[in-house]
Amino acid sequence: MATNPRPQQQLAVWNDPQAVPYVHIDRVTKKFGDFVAVNNVSLKIYKKELFCLLGGSGCGKTTLLRMLAGFEEPTSGKIFIDGVDMTNIPPYERPVNMMFQSYALFPHMTVEQNVAFGLKQDGVAKDEIRTRVDDMLKLVRLSQFAKRKPHQLSGGQRQRVALARSLVKRPKLLLLDEPLGALDKKLREHTQFELVNLQEQLGVTFVVVTHDQEEAMTLSTRIGVMNAGEIIQVGTPKDIYEYPNSKFVAEFIGNVNMFDGRLIEDEPDHVRIDSPELGGTIYVDHGVSSAPDAVVSAAIRPEKIIISVDRPAQADNVAQGIVKEIAYMGDMSVYLVQLASGKVVRVTQPNTYRHAEDSITWDQTVYLSWHASSPVVLSE
Amino acid sequence: MSRALNSSVRAGLAVVSIALAVAACGKKEEAQQTQAPGAAAAEEKVLHVYNWSDYIAEDTIKNFEDKTGIKVTYDVFDSNDMLETRLLAGNSGFDVVVPSASFLERQIKAGVFQKLDKSQIPNLSNMDPDIQQRVALHDPNNDHAVTYLWGTTGIGYNVDKVKKILGDKPLDSWNQIFDPKEIAKFKDCGVSVLDAPDEILKVVLQWMGRDPNSQKDEDLTAAAEKLQLIRPYIRKIHSSQYIDDLANGELCVSIGWSGDILQARDRAEEAGQGVKVAYSIPKEGTIVWFDMLAIPADAKHPKNAHAFINYLMDPQVAANNTNFVNYANANAASFSLVSDEVKTDPGVYPTPEVKAKLFPSLAYNEQATATMARLWQKFTTGQ
Amino acid sequence: MSARAEAPRRHRHSAGVQLILDFLQGLPPYRWTQARLVRWGLTGRTLVTAVPYFWLLLFFLVPFIIVLKIAFAEARIGIPPYSPLLSWVDGSLAQIQLNFATFQNMVEDSLYWKAYLNSIKVAAISTVLCLLIGYPMAYAIARAQSTWRHILLMMVILPFWTSFLLRVYAWIGILKNNGLINNFLMWTGLIDQPIVMIQTDFAIYVGIVYSYLPFMILPLYSNLEKMDLTLLEAAADLGAKPFKTFLTITLPLSMPGIVAGSMLVFIPAVGEFVIPELLGPSDSLMIGKVLWQVFFTKRDWPAACAVAIALLLLLVIPIVLLQRAQAAEARGAHR
Repeated sequence: MATNPRPQQQLAVWNDPQAVPYVHIDRVTKKFGDFVAVNNVSLKIYKKELFCLLGGSGCGKTTLLRMLAGFEEPTSGKIFIDGVDMTNIPPYERPVNMMFQSYALFPHMTVEQNVAFGLKQDGVAKDEIRTRVDDMLKLVRLSQFAKRKPHQLSGGQRQRVALARSLVKRPKLLLLDEPLGALDKKLREHTQFELVNLQEQLGVTFVVVTHDQEEAMTLSTRIGVMNAGEIIQVGTPKDIYEYPNSKFVAEFIGNVNMFDGRLIEDEPDHVRIDSPELGGTIYVDHGVSSAPDAVVSAAIRPEKIIISVDRPAQADNVAQGIVKEIAYMGDMSVYLVQLASGKVVRVTQPNTYRHAEDSITWDQTVYLSWHASSPVVLSE
Repeated sequence: MSRALNSSVRAGLAVVSIALAVAACGKKEEAQQTQAPGAAAAEEKVLHVYNWSDYIAEDTIKNFEDKTGIKVTYDVFDSNDMLETRLLAGNSGFDVVVPSASFLERQIKAGVFQKLDKSQIPNLSNMDPDIQQRVALHDPNNDHAVTYLWGTTGIGYNVDKVKKILGDKPLDSWNQIFDPKEIAKFKDCGVSVLDAPDEILKVVLQWMGRDPNSQKDEDLTAAAEKLQLIRPYIRKIHSSQYIDDLANGELCVSIGWSGDILQARDRAEEAGQGVKVAYSIPKEGTIVWFDMLAIPADAKHPKNAHAFINYLMDPQVAANNTNFVNYANANAASFSLVSDEVKTDPGVYPTPEVKAKLFPSLAYNEQATATMARLWQKFTTGQ
Repeated sequence: MSARAEAPRRHRHSAGVQLILDFLQGLPPYRWTQARLVRWGLTGRTLVTAVPYFWLLLFFLVPFIIVLKIAFAEARIGIPPYSPLLSWVDGSLAQIQLNFATFQNMVEDSLYWKAYLNSIKVAAISTVLCLLIGYPMAYAIARAQSTWRHILLMMVILPFWTSFLLRVYAWIGILKNNGLINNFLMWTGLIDQPIVMIQTDFAIYVGIVYSYLPFMILPLYSNLEKMDLTLLEAAADLGAKPFKTFLTITLPLSMPGIVAGSMLVFIPAVGEFVIPELLGPSDSLMIGKVLWQVFFTKRDWPAACAVAIALLLLLVIPIVLLQRAQAAEARGAHR
């Protein structure tokens, strides 16, 4: 496996080997009959993190979340929350609350009763329940809807009730299953930031399950990318985006141009890859530990490629192609450029001044160039 | 088992028939006017008979069908009240019915029956003139009906169980039923009473020494008061189930009809479970009743009905029925054909001194019927 | 060409049928009738929607009016066994005689009140028993694996395939003094005298609960089966123990099922006749039996009709409740 060195990161808790994880998932496997939903997953999540489990449907992320909540028992492995082994601890005794994808609001109770439900179970005094429910409804701006039933609310309001209900017990760990999935795009963006604010305000640890990579990028301190029951990569959004550890992650998160090739120069401070697809070599200004002559791929994000009509004066990596498609997106334009090999490269350029896009047109021959630090070398 | 089930099925059907009868009531008055007896020259070869349960020999219907080619639909009831309700609803669909004489009397007045065409019943010549005369009290000139069978209302009992309770004392008096102190002895072994309010009230009046056929409110009420006193000791008020219950030992004393109790005796013998049943006519005297074959005015097959009545009056057929159901017939010509066993059974053919104490049951007027029904309802519900 | 232009309108009928239709439609009576119907607002569509109303009218309203009519008549021995309401005076003047005495009798005679109250009591207790037995059964079926679920449901429905009377009658064989239970207990030596079960109130309850249990289970099942199980997880997640979850979530949400099932048991149980008659004590005081006696022993049709009308009014309230519960259920399903 190719490893790409990265710049020194700020000192985060997950980089501190002394730090005690709040949630420790230790070699957990969950099988449903013959089907392995979660395969030997180990994960450490720290206090006040907003951790996203990201993956396509059926990747096991929801099963993992449900095991944290206690709705499923691991087939093997252990889960520790705050140092306590959760094996055989039923959901109603776990210091965890969950926000369900469907919200699971109790249809026969008012908003107020829904939010108060958890506190009542704990035998909190009536007066305290009242103040805490009121405060929580104020926080999610639903005070005037306290007496309504769930079916009288809009989707966004229901989402906030569900959030209020799961937060009112002040859990140390909140599990959110696709918290924004049922909202429309505009509302989703707005709510994303609300969620992050709330999380920071209350200092609760969030574990969020989502299939939406944009959501994951916006929300999380760290992301765990899952596929087929396994965790593929864990890292900050930046890590995941800039330094994917596999073709799967690179392709799953955002767009990427993948150039297959062969390692022809393997020096400690740089490598060179011969890529027939590109019709030339790719120069990368960092070394990778890999076998010589290894078959690798160079992944380059579309926004890291510069498109120009004239051949750039000095650049490590230059390719020539013909513009096949231009999509004007407003803030930026997307170009699909066909190389001599037939490979189509995706390039995005910000429209930094008006009519910036006008200089390039269909079927024009253009030059593509990128900085030597931009490619990520992946061996699988 | 099957007979009681039968009556229950009918119970269910009758509930349905309330609605149907109600819906149909508008048409029937015209219908009954237009149907003259024997009007249809060529009748369909079918006949609908509505008779008491367990009241005919097993092969009588089949023999009749074989002989005449007429297909018989045979249905049964276990109370005069049920029969009367269906007759008064109209459009009963029956061609031959068998009410007791006292009920027949007022049903004739209500226009329920057609006059018999005596020319179609040559076997009428076999009838016992004495009985013909007795029933003419209810049906003047015997115009509407022919006596099918007759019997008495008495006490059936489980011989061994009663002996255990009474010792050598016989069970032969109404007093042993209607006196609360006496009947209390039988409570645990099970007492049943016929669901025939007129007959029960009449025998109570007889026991009280009053006119059994009194229709006076005060008499009926007095009888009902006596009945209320013994209500707690009565397990079941039913007119057909007691046959099986006596036979299998579930009941120990029943007020019932002579032939029914004698059938219970025979069934107990056949079952061989060691239950012995006997019939007793109380010494105070009891009702003698006559069940009459009659043809509803709106019968669709009057010709077949006449043929059926004539067939039942055949001496051999009448004797077979008597032998089988243990009820006496009114057919003088058949007496010699009745088996000795039945002929000499005082439960079937009472001795002259018992006969002297039998009294007929006369029809109640509307007022008395209403009073009786109200009193009976209170009795059955124990209110 | 003109023939082709008309073709689309004709395609539903064969040539012969069309010929006859054309002929009929050309006749003045047809056109006259059609014009009349249209003027009254009767088009094909309204006629189709009128069918259910017509059905109700014919099979509910008309019989009810007849029953009502008889209730105001006077009993007599004759065919029919009640007096006509409408009589002709001098051959031209119609006179209506309403007899309120029947209703007056009913109100005054405590027997009827007691019978109604006792019927309601028996039906209510039976309903509660059905609920207590039926709820766990419905719950178990709704939560069973789907392969098992069908078998279990089948077992609930299966008894319906035999006669109701036969099943009630079978209970006589089970409960009577020398019946199945007593014989077994005496054989084991647990008792030496049979326990009297037949012809007791206990037997009535056994009969009613047995016969009507499926009517409780089926609506409850369909309600519980539809229930969103994540609600239960949510309750557990918020700290509710299983029993608390049942009380606070499952039970209130299954209320429409409970009401529907209860009404389906209660309403027929109030008027039940066969079960108290066959299994109950001879003095069991239920309105169904009283109705039977009024009809068959008293042969008083007006009184029987009056009893039936009072029973109907008595049942209207629970029926309205049932309909409201079903409406609520339907609204819940739309959410």
